[in-house]
Amino acid sequence: ANQSILHCPAARLLSPRSAVLLEAVRGRKSRGDPVAKSKEGRIKEPPPVDPVEMVVLRERFSEYQLIMRALRLEFKEEVLRKKYQEETGSMAEERAKQEAEEHRALMAWNDQENQRLLKLRMLRLQKEKEEAERKWVEADIQREQEQQELITQREREILQLQEDAKNFITLENLDQRIEEALDNPKNYNFAINKQGRVVKQTVQQ
Amino acid sequence: MVHLSSFLLKNYHGGYVVIRLALAGHKQANRPFYRIVAAYNKRARDSKYIEQLGTYDPLPNIYNEKLVSFNFDRIKYWIGCGAHPTQSAAKLLGLAGFFPLHPMTITVAERQRAQTLQAETSTAEEDMREQSQKEADV
Repeated sequence: ANQSILHCPAARLLSPRSAVLLEAVRGRKSRGDPVAKSKEGRIKEPPPVDPVEMVVLRERFSEYQLIMRALRLEFKEEVLRKKYQEETGSMAEERAKQEAEEHRALMAWNDQENQRLLKLRMLRLQKEKEEAERKWVEADIQREQEQQELITQREREILQLQEDAKNFITLENLDQRIEEALDNPKNYNFAINKQGRVVKQTVQQ
Repeated sequence: MVHLSSFLLKNYHGGYVVIRLALAGHKQANRPFYRIVAAYNKRARDSKYIEQLGTYDPLPNIYNEKLVSFNFDRIKYWIGCGAHPTQSAAKLLGLAGFFPLHPMTITVAERQRAQTLQAETSTAEEDMREQSQKEADV
């Protein structure tokens, strides 16, 4: 008979396990502050409990907690399943394969690009080499030409000198030349006016 | 007061995750607005949270509706990872239909209904009494 009384839900009310008195937990008074004058003789009591309502509430809460536990487990299972699928599911393998293929394709494209650029570079280098050779050759030709010109110029000068040497005054020509100079006096004086008119006819001294 | 700095280190994982209402920092007097948020237990109510999972506007709008929004996918994830909702968050979710109805919503509604019935019956009794007195006077 005792066991049957304990099993019915009302028995849970009559023998409460924990009788907790509410302590002051939060608020704006610190430790040493005295009680307010308006609250001096106050005895705080918890709100009154209706036993019928309490029984009904306990039932409802137990149901609620049951359902909540079940929901929690469901959601946990779903999370685990998603994680598993992410890591080691069929989709993961397909994705890995696709990524590998993409990688291969991209690497091939990269190699092609490198080849193309290599060819362009080789052409460019060739052209530059040819340009440089041409320039060298041209410079050589230029130098040779200049040397030739110099040589011709020197020869001309030599010839000029040779021709001038015919008119030089030597010991043999000395007397003849002196007499010629005395016979033909040269007058280097001239007159010039502001307009620039040169007059070479002057009075002989 | 417990010194909370050791709890606020970046990678502190000693606490647990809760789904609760946090005041969005609009800083307007008498105009609250809540965000439904997954945060660590020991963090302050309005400070850094892990993820926002919805909103709740406690003041009714011009059509007399209180607007609530939820991100059910992420709520499922967090509850699967072991988050606990607070009472008000659980009540809101219960009213939304995602959770079963919270027992306190039902009991509060019943109490209110009982009160209104009592008030009606008391006014009806007063009317009856007035009528009987008038008859007696006449």
